[in-house]
This record gives sequence, C-alpha cells and structure tokens, in this order.
Amino acid sequence: MKTQKNMDCDILVIGAGLAGMTAAARASDLGLKTIQIGNSSVLIFASGLFDLLGVYPIDSGRTLTNPYPAIKKLQNDYPCHPYSKVSETQINEGFQFVMDFLNSAALKYHLPDSMNKNQTNNNRVNKKILTSVGTLKPTYMVPETFSKGCDIHKEQKNLLIVDFKGLKGFSAKQAAAGLGMKKGEVYTLSIDSPEGTGDLNPVPLAKLFESKAFIQKFSDKILSFSDKVDMVGMPAVCGIHNSLEIVKELETKFGVDVFEIPGMPPSIPGLRLKNAFEKSLSKSNVTFLSNSKVVFDAMDQDHFILTAMNDNFETRIRAQCVILASGRFPGGGLFAKRKIILETIFNLPVFQPKTRHQWHQLNFFDPKGHMINQAGLETDDTFRPLDKTGSPVFENLYAAGSILAHNDWVRLKSGAGVSLISAYTAVNSFYKKTILNEK
Amino acid sequence: MNKTMETDVLIIGGGVTGTGIARDLSLRGLNCIVIDKSDLNAGASGGNHGLLHSGARYVGSDPEAAAECKDELEISKKNVGHCIEDTGGLFVAVKGDDEKYIADFPGMCKTSGVYCKKIDVSAAKEMEPALSDDMIAAYEVNDASINPFKLSIENMNDAVLRGSQFLSFSKVVQFKIVNNCIEDVSVINQMNGKTIRIKARTYVNASGAWAAIVAAMAGLTINMVLSKGTLLVTSKRMTKRVINRLRKATDGDILVPGGVVSILGTTSVRVESPDNIYPTINEVDQIISEGEKIIPALKTCRYIRAYSGARPLVSEGASEDDRTVSRGFTLRDHKEDGLDNFITITGGKLSTYRLMAEKASDLVCWKHSIFSKCLTKEIALPSTKSGEWSEPGVRINEPFKSAKQNDPILCECEMVPQSAIDTVINSIQETQGRPDLISVGLRTRIGKGPCQGTFCSLRILSHMVDSDVIRDHSDIKGLKHFLNERWKGEQSLLWDQALVQSSLKEMIHSGLFGLELAGNPGLIE
Repeated sequence: MKTQKNMDCDILVIGAGLAGMTAAARASDLGLKTIQIGNSSVLIFASGLFDLLGVYPIDSGRTLTNPYPAIKKLQNDYPCHPYSKVSETQINEGFQFVMDFLNSAALKYHLPDSMNKNQTNNNRVNKKILTSVGTLKPTYMVPETFSKGCDIHKEQKNLLIVDFKGLKGFSAKQAAAGLGMKKGEVYTLSIDSPEGTGDLNPVPLAKLFESKAFIQKFSDKILSFSDKVDMVGMPAVCGIHNSLEIVKELETKFGVDVFEIPGMPPSIPGLRLKNAFEKSLSKSNVTFLSNSKVVFDAMDQDHFILTAMNDNFETRIRAQCVILASGRFPGGGLFAKRKIILETIFNLPVFQPKTRHQWHQLNFFDPKGHMINQAGLETDDTFRPLDKTGSPVFENLYAAGSILAHNDWVRLKSGAGVSLISAYTAVNSFYKKTILNEK
Repeated sequence: MNKTMETDVLIIGGGVTGTGIARDLSLRGLNCIVIDKSDLNAGASGGNHGLLHSGARYVGSDPEAAAECKDELEISKKNVGHCIEDTGGLFVAVKGDDEKYIADFPGMCKTSGVYCKKIDVSAAKEMEPALSDDMIAAYEVNDASINPFKLSIENMNDAVLRGSQFLSFSKVVQFKIVNNCIEDVSVINQMNGKTIRIKARTYVNASGAWAAIVAAMAGLTINMVLSKGTLLVTSKRMTKRVINRLRKATDGDILVPGGVVSILGTTSVRVESPDNIYPTINEVDQIISEGEKIIPALKTCRYIRAYSGARPLVSEGASEDDRTVSRGFTLRDHKEDGLDNFITITGGKLSTYRLMAEKASDLVCWKHSIFSKCLTKEIALPSTKSGEWSEPGVRINEPFKSAKQNDPILCECEMVPQSAIDTVINSIQETQGRPDLISVGLRTRIGKGPCQGTFCSLRILSHMVDSDVIRDHSDIKGLKHFLNERWKGEQSLLWDQALVQSSLKEMIHSGLFGLELAGNPGLIE
C-alpha cells in the first residue's frame, strides 16, 4: 500500500535539470512555497560549463567570440527563439542569479570579464575551453576551477596535461594534440591508476582528491615538471565537494597554475552542480520529490491538481503555478512515437516537422543541424505554452529549458543560457503577475 | 618507379567470395593478394541477414539454388561451425497469405531435396512464443545463422597464414593490357595516396556489386542490376530460430537471430550505384509493417540500427522484379571476351559463398594448368583470436573475466575490453592496414550496441592516441567518420528510446565537443 498525502504549493517545478533547478532556486528566493519533482542525476550529463551563445548563424561553421551582437541578430531573425523573449538585462540577471546561488553553495563560477571595463555586461566575451578530445569549446560562464584554462590555446606558456591510466576517454596526448598550433611546449604525463584496477571511475577518483595524503602522492609525481611548465591541466576530477580548494592546494604544491579540462560523462562538474543545487535548495523552503512520475489530473478553479508517484509514495499536489522544465527526449518531457512527437504531462501542442522524414539529416554533422531539435513548445513572451489559436493553454503554466521550441541548443552552444534564462524569467513573470498583484 | 608486388593470383574484392577464393587457392598452394578499395565485407558481404539458407526459401523460384543451399549448409556446419549458430528455422504463414503456395510448399521442398516438416500451429507457438496468433501454418526447416564478418576474417587469416596477403583501402586505378593479357594492375592506397603495381598470373574480379565497374576498367561489359536490401537490427533477440514468412519472397519476411539481437529484412529496391547506399525511412516503415504480421512485437520493439547492402544480380535481360533474377552466381572466363587471364565471379549469395569460391578457384587452377582438388569441403576453417571479437555478444555472459588487471572495458554495450581492441589493432597492423575507429569497428562489435558508438568511440580513440597507434593528432576526422557511418544506420529509425540515445550522442559529440565545427576555420585561432 502506497503512502498517500496531499500538498499545496504556490509553484510546482517539474524537472531537476538546469532549468528546473534554476526555477526552484528563483522561486524559493522569492519566498514562494515550492515543490520540485524530478531526477537530479540528469545533471551528471552536464559538462558544468554554462554556454550563452557559441555559434550563430547555426550553419556559420565557426564559433563566436562576442555573443551579444549575435543575440541581437538572432532576436531579429527568429522572433520565436527563447532569447527573443528576453532583454539583455534579463540575460545578465539570470546568469548573475545562478552564479550567486551556486557561490552561496560554495561552488564558485566565473563570468567572463568585459572587454572594456567601462562598459556594461554586453561586452562580455566567450572563452574557449580545451576539451578532452582536443577541440576548443566556446563557452561563457565557467567553474572557477576551469577559469585558468580559458583560451589556453592563445597562451605562450609551457603546459603539462595529466591523465590517469584507466580513466577511460581521457588521454592527455589527445587533449594536447588539440593544441598542436599553440606556442610554448605541451608536455603530457600518464599516471598509474591509484585504484590499481582496469577501470578507474571518475567519482571514486574525484573522492580520492579530497584526501590530503592522496594529493601529496599525486603532487610528488608532478613535481619533476614544476621547473619546465607554467600550468598544469587535469581531467575534471579534482574533488567533488571542495574542488576550488583542492585546485588551489595543488597550485601551492606545484607552484604553478592548475585548471580542469572537461570530458565525456559521467561528469564530475555536473555532479558538483547537482550537489550545490540540492544543498542550497534543501536549506530553503523547497520540497523535493525525487524520481517521481507526474500525472496531471485536473484543474481546480485556478489551481493545477497533479499526482506525483513513485514506488512508495503518492502525493496529490495542488499548485497555483507549474513550471514545466521536463526536458526534451532524454529528460522525458517530449516523447517521439514513430510518427509524432508528444508532450508527456499536459499533452500540449508540440511544434514539430511535418513527418519523420524531416526529423534528421542524412549527415550527422550536417551544418544546418537536425530539424527535430527545433521541436518543442511554442510560448508567449513570458514562456507560457500556447494552444493552436496562439493563446496560453493555462493562465499559470510556464515552460523552461530544452523543452522550448526553435532552440537547437546543441548546435548553437546555448543550452545553459536558454535553460537558466527561461526558468528565471518564467518564475519572475508568475511572481510579478500573480503574487505582487495579490499583495 | 612505383613499387611492384608479384603474386600468383590477384583477387579484387575482400568480401566473403574474395576471401573464400584466397583461402581455397592458398590451400591448393597458390599465393594470392586480396585487395579491397575499402575493407573486409564492405559491400553486400557485410550488408545481409547473416543467414545460411536451408534452401526452402528458393524451392519455388529456383530449385537448383535451393539444392545448392542445402548442400553448402551441411558443409558449412561441419567446417566453419565457429562462425555459425545452428538455430534451425521455421516457415510461417498467417491469415491472408497465399494458400496455394502454402499447400505446394512441402512438395516443392521434396523436389529439391530440402528438409521441411509440418508443425502444429500450437506447437510452433510454443517453440517461438513471439509468433503471431494469426498463424495458420508452420514448417520446420534447417536454416542457421552465420557471422559473415568472422567468416571473412577467418578465411583471410587462414590464407595469410599460408602466404597470401590482404591490402585494405587499395583501389584498382588501371589495368595494363598487353596481347590479350593483363600485364599488371595499378593500385592506389587510398590512405596514403601511393600507387603500387601488382603483377599476377591471373586476376579475379570478386568485387560483388562493383563487378561491372571493375570489368569496365579492363574494357569489358557485364550487364548487372543492383538491388538494395535494407535490414533492421532489434535491440533484443526476438526468437530462437530463423523465422521466414511462408510465401513468395517479398519485403520484410525474414527474421534472423544473431547472438543477442535479431535482424529483420529485407527490401528490394533497384539502385544505380553500389556506393553510398543507406536505409530510408520508407523502407524501415515498410519492413516493420510486414514483419509485425508474423512477429507482433516487431511493431513496438526497439531497433538499434538499420543497414543496406546491394545485391549484385547478373541479368541477361530486363526483368520486372529483381527477386526473380537468378540468385545463382555467375562465373565468367573473360577469355571469351578477349582477356586470357581475367575472370569475374559475382551474383550468388552468402549461403553458397564456398561453392562460388570453389568454382572460381577451379577455373584459376585450370588456367594455371594445376590439377589440384578443392580442399575447403574437407579441411575445417581454424578459429583465431582476432576473429573472436566480431561475434555478437560473445562476452556478454562473462564480462567480469575480461575485466582483469589493467584491462578496462572500452565498449560497455558489447563488453569489449581494451585487450581485445589491442589484438585487433595488431592484426590490422600486420596486414599493413591503418587502425582507426572504422577498421576496428569492422572487426569487433564496438559501436554496434544500443549506444551506437556514443561512448566507446571516445574511449577507444583516446586509447589509440594514448598508446601511439595514432600519433601527433587526435584523429577528429576519423571520429567524425566513424560517428557518421553509425549515423547512416540510425537516422531512419530514431524514435522512442533510440531517439533518446541519439539526442545524448548529439549532446556529447556536438554540444560539448563541437565536432561539427572541428576542422573548420575559426576553431583554432
């Protein structure tokens, strides 16, 4: 027999990816009674890097240094894109809010400097981060532990890149090969697996870095390079809970700068994000229902009635507002049958290509991207999903994150930006419209 | 002056026929060089069901081919047992199928000497619970499944052991013809751009769907039609046995188990060129809608990928349905066309590859005035280490044995450890090949599981760079090529879980690593 209970809230956030977390954080920040439902472990697929806009136009084939003029152009070209519903101020506020929120949970992030100190945020530029396969990824807001590696390819400094035997998918030689044209020496070093076994998983490795004894042993192996190099690049495994302190300690031991390099999931920077959000949200007035399936039952006057279910609990929720941040296909917010794409909780209309023939291109890397990634929910300027006539489906239902239509974030390198800005703006809209009016 | 290699026989085409001929001739004491413009089984040999027909499929349309299949199946079971799973098969009819064909079937089998035994519908349902409730007739037959990749690898390995050679990515650019004889062949290595000359006594065109193109380079005409067949791979094995629809051959009527998966096919679509063929959405939907009539679960099951092969059919005239063009093979001595030392063997099917190799080898020996008997009927094909990892699900049941000290599992879908990758890399290097993700993928199960190369591509590439198999660059081009080849097989069936998986692949390879931009100007300033 499942335990049953009833709960009331101002705002129900469905989803625990970056959009869901931002919405819950903002809602609790505004003092709203908040329930969040979702599976936060999706964040281990997040690289930990916060992109704003790295490529535009989509088929330009090159990365952007300055995202703001490109955002202006995108707003002109595509009035339906999520960025076209917000101002530059809202974009900056959104990033600042998430940065401050994570900082309060001791996960320090770094916004890029403005090119011109006298000017405002819109001169902030993208940075390029070396990835484990040797490509350079344009991104915007980075964990402090990555920040010294920004634009490393332009530096003349001598560099050491370290890997661990058994940490699959991360080869120092491969990352170094991506810096083939860089000035200055690039050395590589492969360190025996401290676990002594074949497979070295990133989570236990990151935990090892939280021990002083391990750091000492690790430092001894690097020390011989101290005279030759100015910087050390590491796989992003320098601790889970206090990564910045660990990186600083490594810097003290080596006497040179240290930075982390992102790689394939499972991602420790993603895990750090998950922990930081969970830690701060649990201290606030957010109730988190983990790993539950959500069913929309009915409207009760102006309130949504939904049921959240898992193996043990069944919770009936009455919510004034719902933020739908349930993601796209991996998150389960959208579901593709053989011939049609559906929204899974409210059965909302989904913007989508006419037939499956248009979903994907024949070339995986087609410069235009795959049309299925334009699929999703179309909304008004406050991120409320629209019905077929162009009116909001519900007065207080908002959508945020990758479920939004016209948003090929994978190609535009805009995933985090769209998620956090839409979530932040949606919660603000509800708050202004409803709560402030009541007061 | 280009390097010149000399050999007894140059075989053009590294499919099951070409490698089969190399083994056959090697057993008779001749040295061969096998060249392929791509790699082993790059054509129809790698794009088929992996089915050893009992012959029952052809009893109505081609009794001679049916009898050949029956004989070859027995020889194969005896001599290449390590490439075969002796699954047995069923022919099943459902409501609405042609009753006359059903009634005639046992008689036609008898005429061709092909075994079939009538089974109660209820007994068939018990043997294969996945079969439809609409089943109206069932016959048991002797079909088996075969791994054509392992077959070619092992045939080539055995030939190499006896002094022959395999050159991958080696494409014919010119035949030098003097006095009605080919004097030598210029061959370009497509990886390094270097041209060599190969001088042989006899030249064998075993290039399958490319046979007309190769023959044309020697100034000869072969009338061929190419029929594209598309197949789908399910994520789970649906049946124990091979399931055939009991009717005249048409779309989506054979389901073949292969290790832990099943393969459903096929279609027949005329194509102009054997290059760059891929499954289309219409074909996929057509195959599923036919397949689900005999196995209803095929409507809802997960498909991992689709692939296509071009059947080389030698036509004597125009025909309305390519399936009625004989599936028997064609062996042509081009002496009749004015070239004394050139033969072409094409058409046919996987089930009779050995017989094709025997007949072609007989002709070569006759030309060399060597009177030695074919030995592939008698001498079993040995199993080697480098062939072992092409087996689907070979290690699924013993994953922890291979996860020994310093031997990480690089492909977790198919449980392929680093040591297996290293074995395969060595075997590629031994034949002067260039190890990369594509060539390793051809010889192992990597990239063939549910993740379709999302994770293993990165792990294996970084291992190859780390162990200096790939030097001084990170081979992003090779990674992109590999992912794109996988994609050709995915793009037509991306819905439900497969779409979730492909979205993840895009998030990692495009979203994080930006591979779509790699190689473009502006990435590295």
